[in-house]
Amino acid sequence: MWTDIAQTLLDGVMVGGLYATVAVGVTLVFGIMGILNFAHGQMVMLGAYVAFYCVTAGWGFWVGLAAAMAGMGLFGFVLERLVFRHTLTDHMAGLTASLGVIMVVENLAAAVFTPDHRSFEPPFAGSVQLLGLTLSSQRLLVLVLVLALVGVFYLFLQKTRLGKAIRAMGQNRTGAALAGVQTTHITALVFVLGSAMAGAAGVLYGSLFAINPYMAGGPLMKGFILTVLGGLGSVPGAVLAGFLLGLAESVGSRYLSASFRDGYGFILMIVALLWFPTGLFGTRGKARV
Amino acid sequence: MTAGKHAALLGRAARWLPVFGWLLLAALIAMPAFGSSRYLIYLGTLLALQAALATSLNLVMGYAGQFAMSHAAFYGFGAYLSAILVSSFGLNFWVSIPLAMAIAAVVATAIGYPALRYTGGVQLALVTFAFGELARLTAANWHSVTGGPMGMRVLYAPAPLLGIDFGSGRGLYAIAVAMFLISLALVFFVQRSRFGRALVAVREDEVLASFLGIDVMRHKLIAYVASSALAAMAGTAYAPIMSFISPDLLSAQESISLIGALIVGGIGTLAGPIVGTLVFFGVPELLRAARLYRLVALGVVVVLVVLFMPQGVAGLARQRLDRWRRAAALGPGPGR
Repeated sequence: MWTDIAQTLLDGVMVGGLYATVAVGVTLVFGIMGILNFAHGQMVMLGAYVAFYCVTAGWGFWVGLAAAMAGMGLFGFVLERLVFRHTLTDHMAGLTASLGVIMVVENLAAAVFTPDHRSFEPPFAGSVQLLGLTLSSQRLLVLVLVLALVGVFYLFLQKTRLGKAIRAMGQNRTGAALAGVQTTHITALVFVLGSAMAGAAGVLYGSLFAINPYMAGGPLMKGFILTVLGGLGSVPGAVLAGFLLGLAESVGSRYLSASFRDGYGFILMIVALLWFPTGLFGTRGKARV
Repeated sequence: MTAGKHAALLGRAARWLPVFGWLLLAALIAMPAFGSSRYLIYLGTLLALQAALATSLNLVMGYAGQFAMSHAAFYGFGAYLSAILVSSFGLNFWVSIPLAMAIAAVVATAIGYPALRYTGGVQLALVTFAFGELARLTAANWHSVTGGPMGMRVLYAPAPLLGIDFGSGRGLYAIAVAMFLISLALVFFVQRSRFGRALVAVREDEVLASFLGIDVMRHKLIAYVASSALAAMAGTAYAPIMSFISPDLLSAQESISLIGALIVGGIGTLAGPIVGTLVFFGVPELLRAARLYRLVALGVVVVLVVLFMPQGVAGLARQRLDRWRRAAALGPGPGR
C-alpha cells in the first residue's frame, strides 16, 4: 500500500520534472519576449533526434545530451535572428510566424528522419531496489537530470548577473534598457536558453519513450498547461506547476482512470483560468499581452 | 490631365474589381459541376470544404482578432459525431448536421468562456491548442467509439432531400459548396452588421471597445462559438465525402495549415480565406508537389508573409484598390 503510493508519487515527480523542463523554455520566452513559441515542441523533437543519432553513432548518451542542447541553442539563435527578433512588437505575428516554422521543421524532419518510431538505448538499463521500491534506473536518472537542469537554470536566473538582467527585462523592458541592460543581446540569450532547454527535454523524452517527427504536440500541450497553471511568464510557477501536474496525472491515472491521463491537466487548466487567474506565481492585473 | 485620366481609369477598375471577383468565384464553383471530370469534382469538393473552414476561422481570427487553434479539432469533432450518430444511432444525415453543430457550440462555449475572459488572445491560444491535442488523443484512444488510431470507415451516403439525390460525387460537391456559401454568407453579413463592426473594434483595442459600451467578452465568445459550430458543420460533410475518418483530422497540423492559408490569403477580408485556400491547397494539388515539401515551402511562405506582408494577398489588393479609388475621387475632376 505505502510502497504503491510512494512509487506513484515518485513517478509523478519524474514525469512532472520532464514537463517542467519543457515549460521553463516556453514560459521564459513568453515572459521576456511576449512570443508564444509554438515551435518549442519541434525543438524538443529535434533534440530527441540529435541524441538518437549520437547514441546510434556510438558516442553515447552524454555526448547526445550536450550536442542536443548546443544544437538547439544554435538553432534558437538563428531563429531569433531571422524571424522572432522582427516580431517582438506584435505577439500575434510572433505566434503566427512560429506556426510557419512548425510547418517547415516538422515536414522537413518527416522527410529526413522518416516518420518511423525510433528509440535509443538509455545509459543505464535495469532497475534499482530502494527501501522496498523498484525504480527503473533510467527513470531515476531522468529525475536527477531534470532536477539538476531546472535547479541550475533557477540558480542562474536568481544569482548571476545575466539572470538578473533577464528578470529585470521581464519586469520592465524599457526600465531595464535604461539601467544599462543590452536588451537585444539578452533577448537573443533568452531564446537560445529556452531552445537549449527544449533540446535537453527532448533527449530526456527520447530516453524514456519512442520518438517520431510528429511527437511535438504532447510535450507542447503539457508545457502550455503549465504556463497557465504557473502564471503566465513565471518560471518558478511553471516549475512548481510541472511537479504538481506530474503528481496529479500519476495519482489520477493510478487511482481514478488511466485512460483519462491527458485530460487531468486540461481540467486543471480550465479551473485555473476560471478561479485562479494568476496561477501559482503570476501577477494579477498585469497587462502581459 | 493624363495623370487624372489614369486615376479615373484605375478608380473605375477598383469599383469593378470586386464584381469581377464574385464572377470569378461563381465560375470556379460552376466549373466542376458542369465538367465531366471526376477528379475535378473531387478536388472541388475538398477545396470547397477547406474554403468553408478558412472562411469560418476568419470570423474569429480575422474579425474578432482571437487566436483559435481548435478549428481542426471541431472539424474532426463534427465528422466523428455525425458519423457515429448516423451509423450507430441510425439518425438521418441531415438531422445530424444541426445536432453536431449544437453540441460543438456547447463544447466551444465551455472552453471559450474561461479563456476569453482575459484581455489579449494568449489564453485562448493556449487553451485551444491543449483542447485540440486532447481531442486528438481522445479520438485515438477511445477504441470502442471512434475505432482508435486506425480510424473508422464511413459507409453511408447522405439521404435524398426534397427528392434530390446527394449520394453521388456531384451531390456531395453540392453539399460542400452549400456549406462554403453558408459560411461565406454569414461572414458577409456579419461584416456589414453592427455586431461585425463591434468585433473589429474589439480586435483593434479591447479596452477602447469596452469604453464604447461593447460587451467585449460576449462578442468574442459569440464569434468563437459560431466559427467552431461552422467548422463542425463542414466536418459532417467530410465523413461521407472521404468515407474514412482518422484522428489525424484533428491534429494541430491541420489547424496550422488553415491558419497559414488565412494569413497568406489575407486575414480579416472576405476574399482572403478563398485566395488562401486556392494558394495553399489548390495550386500544390494541381502541381502535384510531394506533400511534405509542399508544406515546407508553404511554411516558408507563411513566415515571409508575416514578416513582410502581414495584410496578406487580399489585404494588399484591398489597400491598392482603396488607394486607386481615393485617387480617382480626389483627381482633378470638375469642381475640384
